[in-house]
Amino acid sequence: MSTSKPAAHHPPGPTVRRGDPDSAVVSLVGSGGEGAALFGELILSMAARQGLYGVMVQSYGPQIRGGESASLVRVSRREVCHEGEETDLLICFRTPDMGRFRGFIRLHEGSVVTLDSKDTGDLPEWVGTAGVHTYRFPFTNIVDGHEVAGDPKNMLALGLACRYLGWDADLGRHELRQRFGNRPALLSKDLDAFDRGYGSQDMPTMPHLQGSGRNLHIETGNEAVARGAMQAGLRFFAGYPITPSSEILETLIDELPGHGGSVVQAEDEISALGMVLGASFGGVKAMTATSGPGLSLMTEMMGLSAKSEIPAVIVDCQRAGPATGMPSRTEQSDLNHALYSGHGDLPRVVMGVMDVVHARDIMHKAFSISEGYQVPVLVLSDAYIAQRHQIRDEVPPPPAQVNRSVWREDGPTRFNLDTADGVVPFRVPGTPGGQYLAAGIEQTPAGTPSADTTIHALMGEKRWRKMDAIAEHTESWFRVLGKPGATRGIIAWGSNYGLLCEWVKAHPEYRAFVPEILMPFPIKGLEEWRKGLGWTGALELAHTGQFYKYLKTLTDVEGTRSLKRSGGLPLSMVDLDRLIRQAD
Amino acid sequence: MKPKDYRSELEPVWCTACGAFGVLKAITQALTDLEVPPEKLAMVSGIGCTSRLPGYTNAYSFNSLHGRSLPIATGLKVARPDMRTLVVGGDGDGFSIGLGHIFHAAKRNVDLTYIVLDNGVYGLTKGQASPTTETKFKQRRGLAGPDEAPLNPVMLLLASGCGFVARGHAGNLPHLRTVIREAIQYPAFSFVHVLAGCVTYQKPEYADEIYHRCDVLPENFPNDDFIAASEAARGERFSLGVIYKKSPGEPLPDGSVTDDDDMGIWRGIQVS
Ligand SMILES: Cc1ncc(C[n+]2csc(CCOP(=O)(O)OP(=O)(O)O)c2C)c(N)n1
Ligand SMILES: [Mg+2]
Repeated sequence: MSTSKPAAHHPPGPTVRRGDPDSAVVSLVGSGGEGAALFGELILSMAARQGLYGVMVQSYGPQIRGGESASLVRVSRREVCHEGEETDLLICFRTPDMGRFRGFIRLHEGSVVTLDSKDTGDLPEWVGTAGVHTYRFPFTNIVDGHEVAGDPKNMLALGLACRYLGWDADLGRHELRQRFGNRPALLSKDLDAFDRGYGSQDMPTMPHLQGSGRNLHIETGNEAVARGAMQAGLRFFAGYPITPSSEILETLIDELPGHGGSVVQAEDEISALGMVLGASFGGVKAMTATSGPGLSLMTEMMGLSAKSEIPAVIVDCQRAGPATGMPSRTEQSDLNHALYSGHGDLPRVVMGVMDVVHARDIMHKAFSISEGYQVPVLVLSDAYIAQRHQIRDEVPPPPAQVNRSVWREDGPTRFNLDTADGVVPFRVPGTPGGQYLAAGIEQTPAGTPSADTTIHALMGEKRWRKMDAIAEHTESWFRVLGKPGATRGIIAWGSNYGLLCEWVKAHPEYRAFVPEILMPFPIKGLEEWRKGLGWTGALELAHTGQFYKYLKTLTDVEGTRSLKRSGGLPLSMVDLDRLIRQAD
Repeated sequence: MKPKDYRSELEPVWCTACGAFGVLKAITQALTDLEVPPEKLAMVSGIGCTSRLPGYTNAYSFNSLHGRSLPIATGLKVARPDMRTLVVGGDGDGFSIGLGHIFHAAKRNVDLTYIVLDNGVYGLTKGQASPTTETKFKQRRGLAGPDEAPLNPVMLLLASGCGFVARGHAGNLPHLRTVIREAIQYPAFSFVHVLAGCVTYQKPEYADEIYHRCDVLPENFPNDDFIAASEAARGERFSLGVIYKKSPGEPLPDGSVTDDDDMGIWRGIQVS
């Protein structure tokens, strides 16, 4: 790595060390309207232009707009799916605003903190203030003792951060021109502020992080879900807005019509899934996306999908808590609902998204299972992945699409029992001679409504045969992390994958198992992976240990510790360290 | 194709003399008139005695969940506009559990034909009060909501901005056939309210009594006039026929065209 490529036009200030030599973490804390999110997006975009990887996460209160808000960006020379443990540069416009971000921002001994020159307050101790290098900058414009509108603070901060990162000023200017070129008045204001921030001579800088020079791609988890689904052949989407899933709906409103598909904003989640089933009954690949409250409303309709054997993909971006809970915050507590909700013995498949890059891939798998086996597939994402911006390599061309097996003349009856994997060719409306009755009511193989208990038993068995076939099909759908010889193991699912990538790197005595599919569970893979392990823990972000309890139903987890905490903030290394200690 | 060609092999599981037989017949007659190929026909319903009807038709049929026929039909029609899509159900299915969907279906104006068989009772669950059960009947039978006046479905649909609102009676087949035919032909969302008897949970004379309260609208009824339609929808008596039929984009008498965006659901309605 070529270290210091000093900022071209200004002599560098003191050079400081950072926690992780491959990456840098920059955080901005401000109030709503001060553009913390934009700041984060611009830094991330500049990183992507240089071929650096990165992740940006945000934190805000329940009101979503207004109130304190913070963004945290990690840029890195290697691909990352975690925002990093400690902040190298913290810019905070008002120290009292820090209060809300406990646990979100942590400093280390080499961190640089930039505060307003007018701010006489101190940072809270929990953030880790020992050894930090504090730098003051006049963000506010005070006239006669009152704050008046001056340079946009986030642009001042952008200049400061750019300088700190050792990036050329032209990179920032180019970024702003790209972004605001169509609004010249705003652009010139922003450029002035950026230059003022960048020009602050004694702002400390860190050794320059060198990217590959390739132009990389930025995507949020929700965008990746939407685009992955489109690549997998999605042609109908219906949804009802809900945080943190709404951007799936919004992305598809923008992009699906261009792929020959349609989007309907439904009147509620019952109708959203109803519309999906209607479209899928029509032979069209269809999906909905929601969060916990919406998933609750979809439960009856999910049973209809399973019974009538009409494929449906349902994405749940989990948020924290029952009822309305904490809409913008993350948790893994919809697992029980996904696994067990619904009346009657209804088969369903449950999958877990690990990060933004995985989000595209998993949508292919979700559609291949849903279409291939004519079952509802639930894809569990969460606020942490959904709202995160992540830099990824260019998207590879999509793998071949898996389509439904389609009925042709003289094919079997719609609910024919004579099928090894439980799947019978689907009768697509419009096919002459294929007319049949799809129904929620139990039916004979020919489709006649029936209350015959033998028929019910046979049909239930047939529907569940699909789950056996799916289990076989998906037995390798998991990822392992760390060195094979490691003797301590962590089983986790979903977005904790990102943390575990970092954890096993920092703690080579650990390895991890993360299933891509939770129901049916790749149990053989787990048993194989468990061999030779001493200490084992099951990690999740849910107060009641839903994942741990589920594992208990699958295998003997006697001796496996439950590592859990209630959600809100994603788990950090500090959290995991504490959970492991507590469990021992 | 003959009406019987639109029937499936299943024998209806309805009580003898149930009003649903008439509706099934009128639908198959209208389909014959329009020569709809069965493979291009979709019949979607919810749950209730009436909602069994799609199972008795030769179509791509979907007997779904209680109250949810409209969302399912909407998804189908948006994804597969080539499918002629009829939606059928009962008064409980449509005006109770599924009521919320009706206004959105009317607002979206997807080309569905929604036929509700209103027998003024929950037949399948054994005779509880529905949103259209008459007050006196509830009082006499000790049903829930004895003080609650019944809903007026035609008025609700008119208020929702639905462009085609009609009513028929299951006992007047020739009339019902023409009304359903016209509803299917209407190129956007259409609604047909069908009065029918429930021989088991209503009085045996119910269908006839209701019919005596019906007035077939005259040939020259100005069904493009919203105010006239509203008048026809009011009161104790039931107007039969196409009560309201809006011609989308048709110029007003003064030559101007209504500004749909400004008037929202009230487009096409002249307020004096
Ligand atoms: C969610 C749900 N709630 C309740 C029921 C029970 N249920 C089935 S049909 C019905 C009412 C049927 O009345 P209506 O729609 O008027 O049909 P009818 O039988 O009179 O033709 C009820 C309450 C159900 N199937 N699903
Ligand atoms: Mg009824």
